[in-house]
Amino acid sequence: MAIVRGCQLPDDLFYHVDSNVWARLESDGSIIVGMTAYACSLAGQLVAATPKKIGKEIEQKQTICTVESGKWVGPIKAPVSGQLIEINEPAIDKPTLINEDPYGRGWVAKIQPKRWDVEKASLVTGAEIAAVFEAKMNTDGFGGC
Amino acid sequence: MNKTWRILDTGLRRAAENIALNRALLEARQAGEAPSTLRFLRFMPSALLGFHQSAEQELNLDYCHAQGITIQRRITGGGAIFFDETQLGWELYLHRSDLACADMQAISQRICTAAARGIQALGVDAQYRPRNDIEVDGRKISGSGGAFDGDALLFQGTLLIQFDVEKMLRVLRIPAEKLSDKAIASARERVANLADLLGAAPDLAEVQVQLQAAFAAAFNIEFAAGDLSEQEQARFETALAEIDSADWVNLMQRPRADKPLLEAAIKFPAGLVQVRVHYDAVRARIQQLWFSGDYFISPRRTIADLEACLRDSDARRLRQNVATFFAERNVDMLGLCAENFSAVIEAALAQQVTAS
Repeated sequence: MAIVRGCQLPDDLFYHVDSNVWARLESDGSIIVGMTAYACSLAGQLVAATPKKIGKEIEQKQTICTVESGKWVGPIKAPVSGQLIEINEPAIDKPTLINEDPYGRGWVAKIQPKRWDVEKASLVTGAEIAAVFEAKMNTDGFGGC
Repeated sequence: MNKTWRILDTGLRRAAENIALNRALLEARQAGEAPSTLRFLRFMPSALLGFHQSAEQELNLDYCHAQGITIQRRITGGGAIFFDETQLGWELYLHRSDLACADMQAISQRICTAAARGIQALGVDAQYRPRNDIEVDGRKISGSGGAFDGDALLFQGTLLIQFDVEKMLRVLRIPAEKLSDKAIASARERVANLADLLGAAPDLAEVQVQLQAAFAAAFNIEFAAGDLSEQEQARFETALAEIDSADWVNLMQRPRADKPLLEAAIKFPAGLVQVRVHYDAVRARIQQLWFSGDYFISPRRTIADLEACLRDSDARRLRQNVATFFAERNVDMLGLCAENFSAVIEAALAQQVTAS
């Protein structure tokens, strides 16, 4: 587990750093997607979430869900291209679940990736995580989780 | 040398065009095709939903249809508003590097504080009020909301130049008393406009000059007049095709019963406290509430501030939020206490439990 400026970033996950989302490869080849603890801290308490429709084909960095907090609306973007195959309905119904447990019960969507072997190279995992997020937080002017 | 931002005035437009421009300009800023921009805009009479809202839950649709009031959906957050020619819209399209700050609430505060300074220059004591309002002596004069995409941000606000409070009460499904002279008077205690405050409506150009000057000072930049680029025009046309449609307006459809208007009144020894609450039962959130009744409280603006503090708040944290609100202020209530306000709101919320 990497902890950067107080934000937990599990080192077994894959991160799309610009989009501030994580991906976890499942044994069936699908990936689970969610917001990072850092993204949750930036947003503050989420009050609404609207996902794209199940079955939709999505390119990397396209929106899979739109969330709202403190009157700000913003996207959760796909870390890789693929088909949206499942939405975490409890988190959509109660978006504070995403804030409370971003890597667990607050996961957002499941994608069947179409180019995982290629696109995973654009994601960050393992020992690289801390330095990359430290640099991002520095650029963003982020104080800490 | 200071950075230069663009200033745009897109004039009076249909709501669909204004919202499509929101998307086009935000996308263009994110794509690096456009500079940071201050845009002024005005609307033909419209009821504008927040991105996540449902028209059925927020608006009196029969009235809107009968009066020819257009219903549209914003790409930004927050609550439904009535917007007509008597209001001025202001918007900033920025890159995160313009702000050197990641905290979204802090960004809202910085922009609203700058806008409040511009309004002050017109001769009224406008102040930022958490979380996203600008108020004059407790009365809201400008509301705001935002959207972001990657490193690009759109933050927008309204400024009430003149305002038809009665029409607002008819358009929006808000927890005021039933439409009456009392309700209108009560709304006037919560909403201010420049014409009333200054004795006459100020010149629109002067309002724009003062807002522009305040943003220039706050961000240490200069403005240069500009137009939409060809790329932005193309993005606008694409966005308009989606937004100028029933599918977009009806993107969120939820039953009115999920967001009831609830009310309660309790006679305490120190006076009668009544409240009406617009309650999001699915998310257990207080969307908006209005107090009325017969009791003493000083300063008078305390009630408007409490209503603003509890707007869009978690109902499960009600007691804590009310206690914190009063703990932070010196308020004279002649026998009423924070618990009384919590109790009457809880009584209203209990109506929902009873009804279901």
